[in-house]
Amino acid sequence: MKVRFGVLVAGLGLLATSVPMFAHHSFAAEYDSNKPVSITGTVTKVEWMNPHARFYVDVTGPDGKVTNWNFELGAIPVLLKQGWTKNSLKEGDKVSVEGSAAKDSSNSANARSVKLADGRRVFGGSSAPDAQNQ
Amino acid sequence: MRKPFAILCAAAAAFIGLTLASAQDKGPAPAQAKGKGRGRAKGPSGPVPRLSDGKPDLSGVWNGFGGSGSDAPDMLPWAAKIVADHRAHNGAEDFEARCLPGGPPRAAPYHTSLFSTPKLVLMLFEGNTHMFRQFFVDGSDHPKDLKPTWYGDSRAHWGGPDGETLVVDTVGFFEKSWYDFAGTPHTKQMHLTETFHRSDFGDMDMQVTIDDPGVFTKPWVINRSTTLETNIEMTEYVCNENNQDPGHLDATLKR
Repeated sequence: MKVRFGVLVAGLGLLATSVPMFAHHSFAAEYDSNKPVSITGTVTKVEWMNPHARFYVDVTGPDGKVTNWNFELGAIPVLLKQGWTKNSLKEGDKVSVEGSAAKDSSNSANARSVKLADGRRVFGGSSAPDAQNQ
Repeated sequence: MRKPFAILCAAAAAFIGLTLASAQDKGPAPAQAKGKGRGRAKGPSGPVPRLSDGKPDLSGVWNGFGGSGSDAPDMLPWAAKIVADHRAHNGAEDFEARCLPGGPPRAAPYHTSLFSTPKLVLMLFEGNTHMFRQFFVDGSDHPKDLKPTWYGDSRAHWGGPDGETLVVDTVGFFEKSWYDFAGTPHTKQMHLTETFHRSDFGDMDMQVTIDDPGVFTKPWVINRSTTLETNIEMTEYVCNENNQDPGHLDATLKR
């Protein structure tokens, strides 16, 4: 799987400059790709719903304070085509997430990639400009 | 510098090429074999299916149609200014993000199902608003005094060099809908022509022509293509069920 994604990544790196009719709606209106988020935590809830699947993660800060983050994934049809299922993420899973924070500074972000409990790293179906899909 | 459309094709190819693996393998399967020309993935081979009247049967679940890959060319100054305003807000006003119709010919990475009969081709769109469009292939004209709508009124006929291309003519749009990512404005004069040519069992070429003299100095022509979905069925997508975008988008607009 890693090798195959490597091939796709090379081709999709060029997506950054295209302006589509193809997109669902604007990533940049909600999320800031200059505000990267990189966390590890425990899944507290999974919403396998449209228009974006979501999962919520408890993240413990260096001060011991726990913050709950809201991560946005792609729509279910997009995720299914990428190999996700409704069981890919479960409450209690330990995950690492890379993504972009919301512009309105809530504890929410768009998930570009997720390292699942079994160690696989999968893409989030994100519409971010440099996302490895779409 | 590569042209935007070529970039979009490469991306669409990779996206379309991702298919689900078998039930035992939880990861995505390898991309489908690449076809000729622009390097996009090709759909499954085979003859074009036929209807009872001998015309091509366009029925099937088709992968995301794809879009223009660029801003509209040849806009009148008032329209270009609106597009620039939308861009300044990163498209935060987009109706589509609030689960209102995207309006044809808007594309998104969801499936489109076509169901062909000799007198009617039905289009069902997986995403957005459970949308359906009816392409009447019965020789009828657009009704007079159409009430302008999000999707317009569509009448179709078979054309093209060999009579194998479905040509769909749509009028009767009102001005509200965002038919593309940029929110290119349109007027009630908008006249949309979409052609569908199933080149073999798993491939379809399409051309979109947007003719709107209130916005463009000449028609905007976009070529796109799709392949047959071979692994999964259309799913239910109810946009309003958990839409958390509007709050974020409204916050962007207030800034």
